[in-house]
Amino acid sequence: MTLEFTRSAPFTMGVELELMILSTHDWNLIRGAEDLLALIEKEKHAGDIKPEITESMIEISTGVNTDYLTMLGELNSIRDTVVSNARRLNLAIAGGGTHPFQHWSEQRIFPKERFFHLHEMYGYLAKQFTVFGQHIHVGVSSGDDAISLLHMMSRYIPHFIALSASSPFSQGMDTAFDSSRLNNINAFPLSGTMPFVADWREFNDYFDTMRDLKVIESMKDFYWDIRPKPEFGTIEIRVCDTPLTIGKAAALAAYAQALARHLMIDRPSAPSLDVYRVYSFNRFTACRYGLEAGFIDATTRSQRTLKADIADTLLRLAPHAQVLGSTAALDEIRRWNESAENDASWLRAELKTGQTLNDVVRRQSGLWVGTGAEKATDKITGQPAPQ
Amino acid sequence: MPGMDDIGFLPSFPLAGANMILVGAILLCGLAVGQIFVRVFKLPRITGFVAAGLALGPGALGLLDQTMLGELSVFVDISLGLILFELGRRLDVRWFTHDRWLLASSVAECLLSFLFVYATLRFFEISPVHSATAAAIAMATSPAVLIMIVHDQHAKGPLTERLLTLTALNNVFAFLLIALLFGFVHLEYRANWLLAVSHPFYLIAGSTGLGFVAFLAARTFGRWLGKREDRQFVMLLGLIVATVGCAISFKLSVLLALLAFGVFAKNLDRDHDLMTVEFGPGGQFFLVMLFVITGAGLRPSELAVAGTIGVAFVLARLAGKLAGLALFAPLSGIAQKKALLMGIGMVPMSAIAVVMVQGAAALYPEFGAKLSSIVLSAVVVLELVGPLATQWALRRAGEAQAASGVGA
Repeated sequence: MTLEFTRSAPFTMGVELELMILSTHDWNLIRGAEDLLALIEKEKHAGDIKPEITESMIEISTGVNTDYLTMLGELNSIRDTVVSNARRLNLAIAGGGTHPFQHWSEQRIFPKERFFHLHEMYGYLAKQFTVFGQHIHVGVSSGDDAISLLHMMSRYIPHFIALSASSPFSQGMDTAFDSSRLNNINAFPLSGTMPFVADWREFNDYFDTMRDLKVIESMKDFYWDIRPKPEFGTIEIRVCDTPLTIGKAAALAAYAQALARHLMIDRPSAPSLDVYRVYSFNRFTACRYGLEAGFIDATTRSQRTLKADIADTLLRLAPHAQVLGSTAALDEIRRWNESAENDASWLRAELKTGQTLNDVVRRQSGLWVGTGAEKATDKITGQPAPQ
Repeated sequence: MPGMDDIGFLPSFPLAGANMILVGAILLCGLAVGQIFVRVFKLPRITGFVAAGLALGPGALGLLDQTMLGELSVFVDISLGLILFELGRRLDVRWFTHDRWLLASSVAECLLSFLFVYATLRFFEISPVHSATAAAIAMATSPAVLIMIVHDQHAKGPLTERLLTLTALNNVFAFLLIALLFGFVHLEYRANWLLAVSHPFYLIAGSTGLGFVAFLAARTFGRWLGKREDRQFVMLLGLIVATVGCAISFKLSVLLALLAFGVFAKNLDRDHDLMTVEFGPGGQFFLVMLFVITGAGLRPSELAVAGTIGVAFVLARLAGKLAGLALFAPLSGIAQKKALLMGIGMVPMSAIAVVMVQGAAALYPEFGAKLSSIVLSAVVVLELVGPLATQWALRRAGEAQAASGVGA
């Protein structure tokens, strides 16, 4: 076999978040990654902080965690490192899946071999890739487990999309989507879903074929919604928009962790090709309507609301959350689901109060920092902040 | 004579629209020379505007004479108002608390450029008061050139932000110092303590107060208008022009009043009622006029007269800025290379400071004449070379869009 799958402890988790670097003058994206990283490099900090494809992006990632609260603590500490160093440069940081009014053509590729290569290969798609996602890793003990968990998890991808959606605006316009970010990813030739392979051996055959045909060079070339990550021993869920707060990012990871435990232990349904028949449609409606979307259950051949499906899932996850110590996180998710309010709704409500998109970004950045500046309730709008 | 009335519809001299023709001609001429500089010499278009003014002005062809320049000064004042307001809005006071060394590096670059220039001029046996005033002028970077180049190059990034903030600061420091030196000038010419103290106080307090009143008006008006860019654009333009007018009427400082207006708008507008307005293509009209008229005011002949002193002045000033910035760069976490680029970005010298000194010249013509001969040669050099230096620094720092072009 060509790909060695690193064994890791089941149901461990890790998070990667792509963040925007903003000018505090006009709240547009600003090329600050290089200077910011140079400052951060000089101090000891939790997690990992890296450049992303364009110079207005930065990626933070946690180590391997088993506990939701520990992970939240680590994320908070990384956030503080990034924010305090950004302030020294008079830059701001924010979550959110897209920057509401940046122009893709103004972005510049971060000077790194791989990014230049991507730009050469994908042309303008590379610059349009200035979108901000959350990737969630869940540990599995073998390649075969990774493949089966991945197939079972595919059914739940709309949950992650609708709960995390925070990209209603793109290039200065309301897109009518809750998550417009995923539309940018659809354009890449190797996006979509992993083929319906049965186990790790079959996956390797597929991988070898694609490599021999020179379609890919490495696992990195697959832009799938969920992909195995053999070197970490995880599956990686890649559909989430970066939420507007750290708390939400940690809660989404806890949701993935509990769901993985449920799927692997309770085995509510075996991997099925049926899920992939309705996959694109469910994914689209979740992007478009968020928590107000409909959901087609391929295994029971029934239609219901996505909200109802998430509510049912939360009930099934409760005992697992108890074991994992993430009941608080799942309670929070229940509240979002019941109110049908995600970050996209918050962003739209902000704009409706007569604010400009620049103001929306400023407040978005205040939320990310999590300090008094823009906290909890807004005095103009009376809009409660998410969570 | 009925015959004369019959031809009353024909034009008569002086032409009723002569001034309008003049403004249009200046604009077109500036634009054309600017384009030639960009296309043929690969130089910044600002250098072209200044060169056009230089060619048209009394120093060369003489098509623009002193009277005409006086009539056109309203454009200069409005342009400066726009620029200073924008620069003021870039000065974020909170930054000083997050990077304590920012203010220190600003003080250092001002202090060292002042000291180096002062020492150089004293070496040439120029009197202490003249040397000090000239050295204070040397502290300030031209806001007009910097903002124009930042716009032209679509420069964005940490170095650009820092450069704008440091420029706002060195203009404030230069102004304060010059205002204080006015006191010494008074003393040197008529020993009257009251005048020596009250004039600087009136300038500083009055101008800051005017800026504050303008800010209060903008905030109230802005809140009522709502967040619409078109409305706020006109409102701000109106207030800027009115504030410039008030500053001139009350013999206050246009520089400090408008800079203060901008700083208050950035830092005291807690509910964010004021929008960040881009003055865009409309603002370009004023900027082109500004640079052409500035060029027309230059005297190339000064260069020959004060040649050595002028060159020494320019070099001492640059050395001071580079040393001051490099000294504090590591403490702010800035690479030395970037600190040096910032120093080079600060090369354009502020013609606004020169305007201020002309205020002193009006009070004491003898003092003004002496000072002009020292400073103006440096101004000639720096107005022409400055834009190129700033453009080069921003490109080299990788923050100019133009530098990246299609490929990046």
